[in-house]
Amino acid sequence: MTSLIGFSALSLSALLSFVILIPNSILKIKVKYFLIICRCSTLLVCASFISLIYAYITSDFSNYNVFQNSHSDKPLIYKITGAWGNHEGSILLWICMISIYGFFYSFLSKALENFKRTVLKIQSGIFIIFALFVIFTSNPFLVNSVYVEEGLGLNPILQDPSLAIHPPMLYLGYVGFSLVFSLAIASLLKDNFDQAWILETRKWSIISWGFLTAGIALGSYWAYYELGWGGWWFWDPVENISLMPWIAGLALVHSLLLVRGEQVIEKWIVFLAILCFSLSILGTFLVRSGILTSVHSFAADASRGLFILLIFFITTGFGFLVFLIKSPTKKNDLQLLLINKTSALIINNILMMIAVLTILLGTIYPIIIEVLTNTRISVGGPYFNSTVLPILLPGFLLMSIAPILSWQTNRIRKFRIYVIFFLILSLLISLQSYLTSFNTWGFIGLLLGTWIILGSLISIILRFKFSPSLNYIKTINSFVAHIGVGIMIIGITYSSIFQKEYIYNMKIGEEVNFENQKLKFNDIKIFEEKNFQSLKAVFSLEKKGRFINYIEPGKNYYPVSKMITTEAGIHHDWLRDIYIVLGSENNNLWFIKVYINPLVSFIWVGVLIMIFSTIIAVLKK
Amino acid sequence: MSLRFQRLILILLTLTILGAALSLILLNTKKNIVFFYTPSELLENNISLNKKVRIGGYVKKTSFIEQSLNSYEFKITDNDNDLLIFYSGMLPDLFREGQGTVVEGYLDKNKNIVATKVYAKHDENYMPASIKKELEKNNQWKKKYK
Repeated sequence: MTSLIGFSALSLSALLSFVILIPNSILKIKVKYFLIICRCSTLLVCASFISLIYAYITSDFSNYNVFQNSHSDKPLIYKITGAWGNHEGSILLWICMISIYGFFYSFLSKALENFKRTVLKIQSGIFIIFALFVIFTSNPFLVNSVYVEEGLGLNPILQDPSLAIHPPMLYLGYVGFSLVFSLAIASLLKDNFDQAWILETRKWSIISWGFLTAGIALGSYWAYYELGWGGWWFWDPVENISLMPWIAGLALVHSLLLVRGEQVIEKWIVFLAILCFSLSILGTFLVRSGILTSVHSFAADASRGLFILLIFFITTGFGFLVFLIKSPTKKNDLQLLLINKTSALIINNILMMIAVLTILLGTIYPIIIEVLTNTRISVGGPYFNSTVLPILLPGFLLMSIAPILSWQTNRIRKFRIYVIFFLILSLLISLQSYLTSFNTWGFIGLLLGTWIILGSLISIILRFKFSPSLNYIKTINSFVAHIGVGIMIIGITYSSIFQKEYIYNMKIGEEVNFENQKLKFNDIKIFEEKNFQSLKAVFSLEKKGRFINYIEPGKNYYPVSKMITTEAGIHHDWLRDIYIVLGSENNNLWFIKVYINPLVSFIWVGVLIMIFSTIIAVLKK
Repeated sequence: MSLRFQRLILILLTLTILGAALSLILLNTKKNIVFFYTPSELLENNISLNKKVRIGGYVKKTSFIEQSLNSYEFKITDNDNDLLIFYSGMLPDLFREGQGTVVEGYLDKNKNIVATKVYAKHDENYMPASIKKELEKNNQWKKKYK
C-alpha cells in the first residue's frame, strides 16, 4: 500500500513539473497558480519520500527495497536512516531536495516574477530528469513478488549516528548547487546580472557550501572512529569527488565577494556555478555507476551508470551551451594590480581550479589508463598529498595576507605591524620546531596556520571597534572563517605528520608504558545488544599514577548480515587523541594497535567555526 | 610601475604556478601509481622486484596459516594460478577464506608477495569491478554482484 502511494505521489509530482515547463505563451496561467503547482509538486515528492520512510519504520517487507535493506530487529533510528542507506532511497532523497530548494526559493526570493519563473522552470527541468531516473532505473517502490517475513538487514557499518545524518547533509550541499545552477542559467537567458541576483546567488551558494562542509566533515569523522585505520582522510575516490565541488564552491563564494569591490565578473561566476553542479553530478555518476571502486559503491548496474552519464551530459552540456551562446557581454574592467584584493582573489581562484583539476585527474586516471592500455592501476594518497597540497600552499599564503590588502590600490594597510608580528611568529615557530622534532611540512603547516590566525586577529583588533553585538560578529565574520581554516590547517598538519603508532601483544592484566603514560588492559567484556553482540576490551589510561579515562575498543558482530565491525576506542583530549584498535586473539594474547593522534580535535573545531561563520554569512544581508 | 606592467607580472606569475602544478602532476603520476594484477597476470608480466603492486583475487580455501600472532601466510588465487602472500599486521574484519581480497606489497625473488596492506571491503558481496571482470572470464563469478 505504502509503495503504491509513494509511487503515485512521485509520478504525479513529476507530471506537475512537466506542466510547469510548458512555455508561458501556450499555457497562460498567472504567477500565483504557477507557484502553487510548483509547490504542490514539492509536497508530493516529499509525501513520496515520507511514505518510503513509513514503509521502513513499519518494516513493510512487501516493499522490495525495504526487504533488501532493513530488518525488523533494528533500532528505530536506523530503520528511518535505512531509507537513504541504499541507492534507490538515496536518489529519492536527492530529488526530494532538488524540489525543496525550489520550494524555498519560491518563497524567499524577491526577484521579479518573470525571472523567478525562469529559475523555477530550470529547477523543475533538473527535477524531472532525475525523477525519470528514479522511476525507470532506481525505483524504491517495487513490490516484492514473494511474501517474506524478514528483511536482509542494513549494512552494519552504516548503523551509526553520524553516518545517519551524513548523507542528507552531503546531499543538501550537492543539490543546493542545482539552485545556484538554475540561477546562473536563468540570468544568462534573461540577461539579468543585477545586484539582487548576485546577492541571491551568494546566499544560496553559501548555504550549499556550508551543508557540503558539514556533510564531508561528518563522513570524515565517521571514517575516523568507525574504520579503525587511525586516520580521517584516505583519498578514497568518494572523498575526492566530494572535495571537487567543495573547492569549486569555495571559489564561487569568494568570487561573489568581488561585488564588494564593485566589480562583478559575471562570466566567471556563471562558469563556476555551472561547474559546481556539474561536478556534483559527475561525482554521483562516478560513485553510483561502480566505475570507481570505493567503500561507497552500492550499485554497479550498468544501465544506471549510463543513465547518470546521460544526465551529466544533458545538464552540463545544456549549461555550458547556454553559457557559450549567451555569455554576458558587458565589459567590466577588473582592477588588477600587482597586489590588491582583486588579484589575490583571482589567483586564489586559479589555484583552486588547478587543485580541482588535479584531484579530478587523479580520480579518473585509472579509468583512462584502463580504457587505453587495458592495465589497471590505482592512484593513492601519495599522489594527492604530493600534488594537491603544494598547489594549495600559495593559496593559503595569499589567504593569510588577504585581509590587509586593499581593493583599489597597491598599498598595504598597517604594513609594518604585520611584518613585525610575522617575524616574531616565525622566530617562535622555528624555535619550537627546532626544540621538538623538525619536519619541513610540519613547520610550513604550523607557520601558515598560526599566521592565518594571528593575521586575522590583528586585523579584527585594528580595524573594528569591539562591541558585544550580532552586528560586530557579522562584520568580522570573514576573519572568523579564516581563523577556522587556520585552526584546521594546524590540526591537519599535526595529526598527519606527527601521528605515532605503537603495536602491542597484551594479556589481560598486563600494562604498557608509552610517552609518560600507562595503559592497563583490565578486562574483556561481552554485551548482548538489540541487533548485535559486542565485545569490548577495557583499558585504563593513567598518567603519573593518576587515573585519566577508560578506553574501550571492541568489535561488534551482526548476526543478520554475519558481519563484524571494528569499533575504535578513543580517548579525546584537546591536545591529542589516544586511539586504540583491537586486533585478533591467540592464546589469550590480544593484538592491539595504539595511535597517538595529536591535535585532531583542532580539525573538528576548525570545521565548526567555518560552519558557524557560514550561518552568520547567510544571516547577513 | 604602470598598470600594464603589473598585469604582465600577474599573468606571468599565474603561468608559472600553472606550469609548476602541471609538472608536479606529471611527475607524480609517474611515481605514485600502483599497478594492479591478478595472479596470472603477475606471473605473465615480468615485474621488477622492488616495485609496489596490488594483487586481487580470492583467498584460496585451506591456504590460510597463522604463523604467529598477526603474522600470516595465505594464497591468493584466480583459479588458474596462485600466489603465496606473507603478511604481518592486522587483517580486516571481513578477511576470510573464499572471500575476495586485494593486497598491496612487493614481489620477492621466489615470486611470493610480501604484503604491506590487505584490503577486504565492507560489503561481503563487494568485489572491485576490475577483478570481477577478470573472474567472470574464468567463470569464477557465482555471486550476484549487488
